[in-house]
Amino acid sequence: MNSDSCFTFTCPVKTNSGNIALENLPVELSGLNAGKPLVVTNIAKVGRKAVRTLTGAFGDSGMSLGVFDSLGDKVDPALIEQLRTTFIEEEYDSIIALGGGTIVDSAKILNLTVSLKITDVRNLSAQTPVNRNLLPLVVVPTADATGLETAQFARLNGAVLSSEYLAPVLVVIDPRLTRGKDVKTIYATGLAALGRALESHIIAKENPFRQAYSFAAIRFIRDNLPAAVRNPDDKKTTLAVINAAVMSGCAFSGTEARPLHKLGQVFQEMLKIHPGIIMGMCLPHILDDYLHRDGNGLASLLHPLTGDEEFAQTPEAQRAGAAVSVLHRFMADLHSALGKDVPQTLREAGVPLYAIEDIFEVLDVDPNGVYLRSVVERIRDKTPMAEKKG
Amino acid sequence: MVLPDYYEFCCRVKIVAGHDALEQIPGLLSEKGAKKPLIITDKGVAGAGLIDVVSRVLQDRLAGILIADNVPPDSDLRIVHQLAQFYRDNGCDAIIAVGGGSVMDTAKGVNIVVSENASDLMAFSGAGALKRPLKPLIAIPTTAGTGSEVTQVAVIKDHEKHLKMAFLSYFLLPDVSILDPRMTMTMPPFITAMTGMDALSHATEAYYCLQKNPLSDAHALSAVSMIYQHLPMVVQNPSDLNGRLAMSIGACLAGIAFSNSMTGIVHNLGHASGSVCGVPHGLAMAILLPYGLEYNMHKCEDIIARLLLPMAGETDYLNTPKEQKAQKVVSLIRQMNEDLHILTNGRHARCFREVKDREGKPMVPRETLPEIAGAALLDGASMYNPEDTDYTDNLMVLEAAWEGCPLDLSKVKKG
Repeated sequence: MNSDSCFTFTCPVKTNSGNIALENLPVELSGLNAGKPLVVTNIAKVGRKAVRTLTGAFGDSGMSLGVFDSLGDKVDPALIEQLRTTFIEEEYDSIIALGGGTIVDSAKILNLTVSLKITDVRNLSAQTPVNRNLLPLVVVPTADATGLETAQFARLNGAVLSSEYLAPVLVVIDPRLTRGKDVKTIYATGLAALGRALESHIIAKENPFRQAYSFAAIRFIRDNLPAAVRNPDDKKTTLAVINAAVMSGCAFSGTEARPLHKLGQVFQEMLKIHPGIIMGMCLPHILDDYLHRDGNGLASLLHPLTGDEEFAQTPEAQRAGAAVSVLHRFMADLHSALGKDVPQTLREAGVPLYAIEDIFEVLDVDPNGVYLRSVVERIRDKTPMAEKKG
Repeated sequence: MVLPDYYEFCCRVKIVAGHDALEQIPGLLSEKGAKKPLIITDKGVAGAGLIDVVSRVLQDRLAGILIADNVPPDSDLRIVHQLAQFYRDNGCDAIIAVGGGSVMDTAKGVNIVVSENASDLMAFSGAGALKRPLKPLIAIPTTAGTGSEVTQVAVIKDHEKHLKMAFLSYFLLPDVSILDPRMTMTMPPFITAMTGMDALSHATEAYYCLQKNPLSDAHALSAVSMIYQHLPMVVQNPSDLNGRLAMSIGACLAGIAFSNSMTGIVHNLGHASGSVCGVPHGLAMAILLPYGLEYNMHKCEDIIARLLLPMAGETDYLNTPKEQKAQKVVSLIRQMNEDLHILTNGRHARCFREVKDREGKPMVPRETLPEIAGAALLDGASMYNPEDTDYTDNLMVLEAAWEGCPLDLSKVKKG
């Protein structure tokens, strides 16, 4: 341990994962001194069955819960202000977010307003201090999780509020809710998890606490994503992919945004494309760039990406290159299994030229804009790298 | 890495680690809105000058620092109440615990009393009695072993009523754990050796016990690697600051792993040998660890074999045939005990018959082994062991560990 300066890691999220995990929710809430949760979700996204499964888990617990199932595709300040009023008037004491992505962002912002007594959601910004415990927030992810549900920040229309107190106190991963609706969904979730876990692992060289989460996330994606995309209805492998997504959010929290994450977010915010789709396109390019630049940190990826045997057999100097090769093969295998189900270029994703110009405008103000722009250029409409290498 | 049908994992403690980690305390207290912390410690820690180190860091940035250094080696309900009163009388608003297991337990107990404004700590014993966050608690471990800086348990003894009460809640997790090598540097080699082996036993048992899960596994593997590589180095060279930091990090990772996956026969028999004969916990762990691995070998040979790479490194891993990898793990741990025995001039006992008290008298007479085997049946740690233990097996393992010869695997019950 030669690190001159100190490092920190914190993960406020408890994970409960597996069979009938939801049924433990009443006990968990009671342990947090909560007895009347408000469920917030978007029924158009998660489906009626998921809501029924969640509410059914409260069975004869004696807990009363409210359900608001009409969140939209974005975080809507006016709607959150209405929910805030309902929450206070009907005396709820906790929040359960059912789903992924903006559903959880909305729940985090709602929690902020009810816990810190903020009346005007529009006044919230990246500078808003969040420095004390909020009310209990539980996240129950579905198959389209982005991985950021467990992260220590919330997104509000372009602004990112960041604080460890924003993270959920509990995440409940139940296989009844994590089976993929389709190939594309589980692929996108898996690639978002992989992309963030890889970037976290590379920069957490001397932080074994962070690497414990990123290692487990990468290994789970490697072991389970290929089978999950072949059969998105498979209980075991899809559960493992959502586990990886949850872990990736924990690993990623508190790190500086890296290129893969950044590009995934920009496309999600501007064009509502799941960040995993974009991260899947960019991943081979960005890792090649890392390797050609200095490769520093890439060597540590080989162990979670392969296993004890292959890692031990590869001389240290070759590990970075070997890790990148393994990832190219991994992506090529995924794409050959998926065929046309998943777009591999922006053109295949149906992104029009004018939208790419808008993306460039946003990227140009980023300190790393020139580089990010060069990556977007490469995924516009060219032979996908995974195929070239594969 | 296997995904169990069901698992839970939680460690909400903020870890701050590094050569200048102590310097972060004023900022961390300020984040929690605290200005007047009470430092809880014991005479040994204070006598070693460690509180002076902490005070020097804090004095320029905090108005006043209060220190209570009367925590006994065994936690004591009376002291908990006394310290809680001291905290209230002085208007403190946070606790900094500097020490080992007893200090951490006492600090957690005090925190319950002052946060709940309670008159009797015992009203909160058991699991789940706490329902809300307590006052800010910063834990600074002075050994690299117990992992209690990241556990949600406190054990407090009522010496008047001869009761030992456990408190279990996620709210007992410290808010922050500070891992700074200056806090462990003065630990003598003998203590360093046994507390380090305690940490190795946490990581190893966490990796093979029944409640293991992907996150406890990742923490355990990383812990095994750090502890195995650095323990002999710091025993040999106590002022090796990099090695000390690595040991603190390894012990903390191991604490996170075992508090989520629980422990097995090594801890089970270790607790019992402590309660019957007073064997120091870390020493009991060091002695029993190879036997625990041997006892469970038929149930989890593959799992034990996976500990070889983090322990021995790539070359030894590749040079060991697959069918010998698990056995190699056991022999490396035995060799570690041998090395520590030599490095501590014989103070690190390799087997129970070598454990001596301060007067040099044997602490574990052979005739006490049946009593230890029986006492172990009352300890909950056996629940998570891969093989079901019973009195006969406990005695068989204890006899081998007393003698210091490997377990006769043909005699292990294979349930």
